[in-house]
Amino acid sequence: MQNLEIISVNIWQIVISLANLLILFLIIRKFLYKPVKKLLKNRQDAVEKQYEDATNAQKNADENKAIWEEKMSQAETKADLIIKEAADTASTRGDEIVANAKAKASDIIKDAETEAQLERRKAEQDIKDDIIDLSTKLTEKMLSREINAEDHKELIDSFIDNIGDKNE
Amino acid sequence: MTKSRRFKIEDILLIAGMILPIVTGIVIKVLFTPQSEDSISITGALIFFEIPLSKLGLKWDLPITEAQVNSWLVIISIFFLCLFMTHGLNEKTPLKRQHLAEWIIEKVDKLVQDNMGNHFMGYAPFIIAMMALSAFSSLMTLFGLFPPTSDLNVIAGWAILVFILITYYKLKCGFLNYLKGFTQPIPVFTPFNILGEFSTPLSMTFRHYGNIVSGTVISALLAAALKILSNAVFGWLPGKLGEFPFFRIGLPAVFSIYFDVFSGCIQAFIFAMLTMLNVSSAFDYEDYQKRQAKRLAKLARRQSQNS
Repeated sequence: MQNLEIISVNIWQIVISLANLLILFLIIRKFLYKPVKKLLKNRQDAVEKQYEDATNAQKNADENKAIWEEKMSQAETKADLIIKEAADTASTRGDEIVANAKAKASDIIKDAETEAQLERRKAEQDIKDDIIDLSTKLTEKMLSREINAEDHKELIDSFIDNIGDKNE
Repeated sequence: MTKSRRFKIEDILLIAGMILPIVTGIVIKVLFTPQSEDSISITGALIFFEIPLSKLGLKWDLPITEAQVNSWLVIISIFFLCLFMTHGLNEKTPLKRQHLAEWIIEKVDKLVQDNMGNHFMGYAPFIIAMMALSAFSSLMTLFGLFPPTSDLNVIAGWAILVFILITYYKLKCGFLNYLKGFTQPIPVFTPFNILGEFSTPLSMTFRHYGNIVSGTVISALLAAALKILSNAVFGWLPGKLGEFPFFRIGLPAVFSIYFDVFSGCIQAFIFAMLTMLNVSSAFDYEDYQKRQAKRLAKLARRQSQNS
């Protein structure tokens, strides 16, 4: 077992060392550099994709927001319109109802008045007839004589008419 | 992410895969290192055995030394480290090791991009490999193993690979252009340019090798000096106590932080940096594109003439 001189040159050793470096280069490229590089690239792609997605989503959201805001403002005016219409309809309907009610009421009052008058007339007539009958019977009994009934009736009628007229 | 039982077992196997090569290295070291005499000797790697290639008519034998074995062990260790770091890789709930892996990849990617440009992004794993191999090889000293980086041949192999890359990129812009490059800026400079061409790998080799070896040498010298000092100061103590090198406790560790850890990591970084700069400066991408466009135009013209 012996040692090399501190400075010794051997072509084979040089070649071996050169090959060693090349082999290590291949090892590192295959097992360290490429996998990590691939990973970094994938991550970069993923990040870029996420950014793109986020931008798209933001854009969509902005568009939607604009649309909805427009719709909202339209809806407000619409609602105002509807309320106003409803209020108008309600007031006209109310007026109509009140007018109808008033008309009906006046009709009822009129009917009642007419009826009352009719009733009164009838009652007057009845009373007249009763009085005529009564007075006829009375006079018949008082006079106890045959009087011309027709003459008599005429007399009494005129009498009663006078009474009735005075009453009127 | 809750770790399943299976995941944990795999983890343990991977960690064992990282640690076992180092343990093996220590075992081999203990088994094969000859009983050292007390004197300090600075030598190269231990030769385990030699493959007698010279009998096959080749000029050099192939000695299998500690440097070779240890660098293989480092490679195996790094292989399992890679598997460990990418184990359980996922996008949603990253583990801590995944953060580390991502951090390494991102930093090296940025380094390569800054120093070499986008055209050379394929070099990132190469740079990681170079840094990892160099740094971990140097850090082998922490386990008391022979660092492969303090063998000249190992570094020379890497530097020659870099030289091949540099020359490949220079030739990519045309062979005549490559030759013309030597006569720039004036023809008188040709010999210096040729020297400069070869001095690049040479300087890279010796810079790295020298730094690591000097650390080893200084550590050895320091250990020897501390022993002598210790003997001089505590020599009067009776028996074995007088021989015990008290000053070796603690102090070499402080120096080791610089010479082994700091120097090892810095040299790995410098070597990778120089590789990046040299390779990228050897290749003018715009010039190359211009040439390619010209060649394509020529080809198209020829085709239209033929038809």
